[in-house]
Amino acid sequence: MNLHDPERADALAGEYVLGTLRGRARQRLERLARTDRIVADAVRGWEERLLPLAEALPPIAPPSRVWAAILARIRSAATTPRARSLLWAPAGWWRGLALVGLATSLALAIALLKPAPEAPEGTLVVVLAGGDAKPVLVATAARASRYLVVKAIAPVAVAPDRSLQLWMLPETGNPRSLGLVSTIAPSGVARIELPVAADRALQNIPALAISLEPAGGSPTGLPTGPVLYTGPVQRLY
Amino acid sequence: MQSDPAKQLERNARLMELLARTALADQQAFAELYRLTSPHLYAVALRILREAAPAEEVLQESFVNIWHHAGSYVAAKSQPLTWLTSIVRNRCLDQLRRRELETVTMDDEEEGVAIAAEDPTPLDMLLSGADTRAVRGCVEALEPTQKQAIALAFFQGLSHSELAAHLRQPLGTVKSWVRRGLERLRDCLDRAGVTR
Repeated sequence: MNLHDPERADALAGEYVLGTLRGRARQRLERLARTDRIVADAVRGWEERLLPLAEALPPIAPPSRVWAAILARIRSAATTPRARSLLWAPAGWWRGLALVGLATSLALAIALLKPAPEAPEGTLVVVLAGGDAKPVLVATAARASRYLVVKAIAPVAVAPDRSLQLWMLPETGNPRSLGLVSTIAPSGVARIELPVAADRALQNIPALAISLEPAGGSPTGLPTGPVLYTGPVQRLY
Repeated sequence: MQSDPAKQLERNARLMELLARTALADQQAFAELYRLTSPHLYAVALRILREAAPAEEVLQESFVNIWHHAGSYVAAKSQPLTWLTSIVRNRCLDQLRRRELETVTMDDEEEGVAIAAEDPTPLDMLLSGADTRAVRGCVEALEPTQKQAIALAFFQGLSHSELAAHLRQPLGTVKSWVRRGLERLRDCLDRAGVTR
């Protein structure tokens, strides 16, 4: 198979997309298409020509067990810890985030709290940082308090048609919303009411995260937009 | 799916949006993507694999893959449904290759999966598929033998030797039908400005 000849490469790409290219020749072309732009373009050209013809097939609804199996698989994949970049955030991005920037935020939390001996009963602190590990927001609550105070320590700009939403990232299961922190813009501080005292509300919650959502918050009950900031929950007691 | 160009544009925009949200781990968008495209993709897999179990498996594998790699879809490079179809078709053809390695004898078209008698033949589909893209002329311009060989290979996943057996022709003959048919189709489509 001489793929240096563009005509030959195009003919093979045609047979590849049609499906008549089989066996090792097929595998070889597939490999080449990943590295050789001419071959990749030839394959794409043939996909564009031939694949829309498949739309003529009368649709057939697959049995519901297929969707159930897909869901089960993507959910179990989500529980496997995997660190990923924050803006490219597919399945279960919230796993493994608790460790992101732990050292930085711990140092900062301690520095922030050192001159605060008036919190004898203990405090929960979350330093939320972006992908560059630069702290942007700090959330604090006295352990017995029913309020989480979120304070911006760097400028936070949010478009008027967007909201920032704060999430708890539990050890297992999906993120749970704590509410919107968009109100942070004018005053620099948002107070979020908790259903119970902070130490109980954040029990078994290793980390918090803030995602960018449509105005008014996620329509799905789960984060839909990019995750802008995350931070581990520190228990200083 | 639809032949109305305005509806097709609208559908593509919707699918692109759903793919973008799927890349952000939005399960609801992913569920909607599945709802809108799985009947089409399942039909593609069922035609090629001819049995429900492997077609379901391919559909499942494909969507798990789509969930993890939706971010690698580049809208500028291909239509969303074309991209999804290529994922499913490539998995089907991989399956066929594995079966060939296990030297399975060719079933007759009528055996295997129950495709209702009133279902269109591959040739009908080639023509009606062409209709959705206003390139019917190009498909009709093919020699009848080329048309039939291409339709069987594309919709049923027949290899050259399976085509030869099915059409009762020497291997070299069907190979040249396919090759010439593809060349002619490409030249006509490119001239019509449908691609490239």
